Amino acid sequence: MKTNRIIVLAALLLAITVCLAFAEQTIIQYDCIPNYANWGGVTKAYQKKTGVQIPPDMKGSSATMAALEAEKKNPKADCAYYSGAIGFQAATKGLHEPYKPKGWEKIPAGLKDPNGTWWTVHSAHVAILVNTSALKGKPVPHSFEDLLKPIYKGMIVYDDPRIHGTGFTFVSGINAVLGGGKDLKAGFDYLKKLDANILKYAKENSYNELLRGEIPIWINADGNGLKAKNVDKAPIEIVIPAEGTLTMPLVMGLVKGAPHKEEAKKYLDWLLTDEAQHLMAESYFQPVMPVKLEASLQAKFPPKSAYAKAKVLPLDQLAAQADGIKKRWEKEIEGGR
Amino acid sequence: MLTPDSHITAPSIFSVRKRRQLAPLLLCVPLLLLLLVLLVWPLAHLFQQSLLLTDAPTAGITLRNYLEIAAVPRYRHALLWSLELSLAVAAASTLICVAPAWLFTRYQFHGKLVMRGILTLPMTFAGMIVGFLMVILLGRTGFIPQMFERLTGTPFLSGVGYQFPGLILAYLYFEFPRATLTLESALNKLDSRLEQAARSLGANRWQVFRLVVLPAIWPALISTFAVTFSVSLGSFGVLLVLSIRRFTLLPLEIFTQYIAPPTDQGIAAAMSLTLLTVALVTGYGLRRVAQRMGVTHA
Amino acid sequence: MPKKAGFIFCLVVTVALMAMILLPLVVVVLGSCINASLLGLSTDLWSGSRHDIFDFSAFGYIFENYSDWALFSLELAIACVAICLLIAVPAGYALARHPFPGSGLVEELVLMPLSLPGITLSMGLLATYGELRGPLLVLAGHLLYTIPFMLKVVTATLRSFDVGRLETAARSLGASFPQRLFLVVLPNLRHAMMVGSLLVFAVSWGEFNVSFLLNRGRPQTFPAVLYDTYTNQSIQISSAATTIFLAIVIPAVIAIQWFGGRDSVEVEQGA
Repeated sequence: MKTNRIIVLAALLLAITVCLAFAEQTIIQYDCIPNYANWGGVTKAYQKKTGVQIPPDMKGSSATMAALEAEKKNPKADCAYYSGAIGFQAATKGLHEPYKPKGWEKIPAGLKDPNGTWWTVHSAHVAILVNTSALKGKPVPHSFEDLLKPIYKGMIVYDDPRIHGTGFTFVSGINAVLGGGKDLKAGFDYLKKLDANILKYAKENSYNELLRGEIPIWINADGNGLKAKNVDKAPIEIVIPAEGTLTMPLVMGLVKGAPHKEEAKKYLDWLLTDEAQHLMAESYFQPVMPVKLEASLQAKFPPKSAYAKAKVLPLDQLAAQADGIKKRWEKEIEGGR
Repeated sequence: MLTPDSHITAPSIFSVRKRRQLAPLLLCVPLLLLLLVLLVWPLAHLFQQSLLLTDAPTAGITLRNYLEIAAVPRYRHALLWSLELSLAVAAASTLICVAPAWLFTRYQFHGKLVMRGILTLPMTFAGMIVGFLMVILLGRTGFIPQMFERLTGTPFLSGVGYQFPGLILAYLYFEFPRATLTLESALNKLDSRLEQAARSLGANRWQVFRLVVLPAIWPALISTFAVTFSVSLGSFGVLLVLSIRRFTLLPLEIFTQYIAPPTDQGIAAAMSLTLLTVALVTGYGLRRVAQRMGVTHA
Repeated sequence: MPKKAGFIFCLVVTVALMAMILLPLVVVVLGSCINASLLGLSTDLWSGSRHDIFDFSAFGYIFENYSDWALFSLELAIACVAICLLIAVPAGYALARHPFPGSGLVEELVLMPLSLPGITLSMGLLATYGELRGPLLVLAGHLLYTIPFMLKVVTATLRSFDVGRLETAARSLGASFPQRLFLVVLPNLRHAMMVGSLLVFAVSWGEFNVSFLLNRGRPQTFPAVLYDTYTNQSIQISSAATTIFLAIVIPAVIAIQWFGGRDSVEVEQGA
């Protein structure tokens, strides 16, 4: 019958195209969000240079770690990108293979693991990103304290810390910024109060929603805000809170059992070259390597004085407390009724 | 060549009957195999997982996971709100779908084909997609508020998408088409002679509907309700996107267990099976009610 | 007069519902290529920094990055159709024409995935075959949802049709089982198989929840492109992805209506 013959032909086509589809050169990087730290541009540049494709991957830091754990016996990813503490946690879980990319020596000691299970590629700070036109006349907040004002009700978003690393850094670090003690009470009290103004705890990257004003205030990396303002020309103001902020190293690691190990190593090497680091700087993330930036580019970064009160949190401590903090956040903030 | 009416000696009858019972079974073997591998075995495995504690897998069988669903406020609320939401959506869908179902089965007109096609379209969308459509239409900078702003200066309905009306609308979007089709099939089965008889006795359309059709389709309405209820119970994509504050649904809790570490597989399994049981029991229970009302319907 | 009133009421309600269904879709399709701000219809918040009235660059982005995903979805859908035809048609014949003890239960089991919470079935598959995450497991998930459709169409046709009588007539005339199968049953099932195939295709193409959970790595199914672009890309790009999605689904759905007629109502209720 005609229909049956078509079906059989189609099934054959399936077999052939499946084989063809896998012929391309690819590296899989978990957490490769195009609009975060301009991974879209960085991976495109690498593809232009070498022909190797690195497709976008929308997993947040914690989701990446969960995926790597689930795939331990049959890894699909070659490398992974995380916010500092989560990357540290993943490395301690043995999910990474030690590797020291070219230029290793130049990375400052505190920003890498001595054995090479993780290292920083760039860093950013937690900041308040404001879409001024979406505020519709309301004053721009200048501190974390300002965010508690009722006029911002339903306007603030930060990422779900159980999924995204930046959100986690904010949630775990706000305590230190506000001068709280070891029990993290100050931080969680603040988050509880902030909850009244929250629109939602974003489970996905909200860059575009910030751009179009769907989300007027986003607590996220300053680099993303600067890119939105200077590259995408949106009415964004980047506020470094008056109380201070958190320095967030963003780290990568080579996945244990990576399917395309050699290619991945070349890619990781390239990410530390001047070319790649400069690209990241153009997206306003602080490169970890000592790269010379043009004066005009340097000028667009907020002045060093704004970061005077930036706190650096010990990654090992954060990593150890990570699960506990997430559970506590879930219980006290998200589950708070 | 054997015919059903052939009279043959005893041993041959034996083999005829056996062959006749065997053959259809053989035709079903691939299907049965698939069922076993994809449905029965996984559900059994899930059941086993729900009886073990994830952080103490060798501790033996326990009902703690199920008890935790009732004990932990978050999960308890998730279950209750799932039930409430699904009931509301099922009721609303069943109510809304009567008009279109009636229209498609009792009248002929141009464009019916296209209309029915459009009606079935939302059923191919996943919940997540519908959630995004809701944000696009009724988010803070949604299409509708922006239109209102253009026309009147104030963005009405801005942000409604992130609140309960938005949630319900989104669910209705992909549930009422299913309800309409279910009801349509029941209406098709109705014997139109009853209606014609009523008409010939002088009843107008509304009376016919109220006194003849409605009582006859009650069972159909009930099974429409049951199907819509079961499907809504399992849908979490919409809430994943809308992320309504201080609100959660049981399927979303299950999903979060898997994408946000650390994963508690025991609880996830227990929650999944609880959801399944509620859907099955409701569906079965409602179907029995419908059957007892007389008219059986596929 | 009352006659007309009933019709008009139902028509108005239905048209309103159609409009509600179409509104977001129209907005999205237009948003993918039309720069509405130039037409004075919307603010810059939506149109970004485009300069022409028509701008199809978003489609270019989708083709560049996700064409293998579209292909994968198409292949999955076609594979589902093939497997459903091979498995469900014979089984449907057996269940409808030669019921055996327990055949009712089998049919119930097959149809169960349609009315059960999808997440439970996905969790079951994950828990049991989690290691095998990938295209094969996704295909398995799709089959769970598509086989019921094919089975429903086939059994509905075989039960409501005169196929039974035709077959018995053929048998009494001395036709063997293979002869009956190929000369009587299958030709009458052709229509049902076509409607069933279209349904299976549409369901598989649009399936997302199960595929999302059961897949690993790339490529993923096309609805996952919608998810990716909605969460991380501009409205133009996600609208373009949605438009492509609709471009495949709408013809399939219309075709089902065209070919199915009354039969399709019986079957689609399980969608």
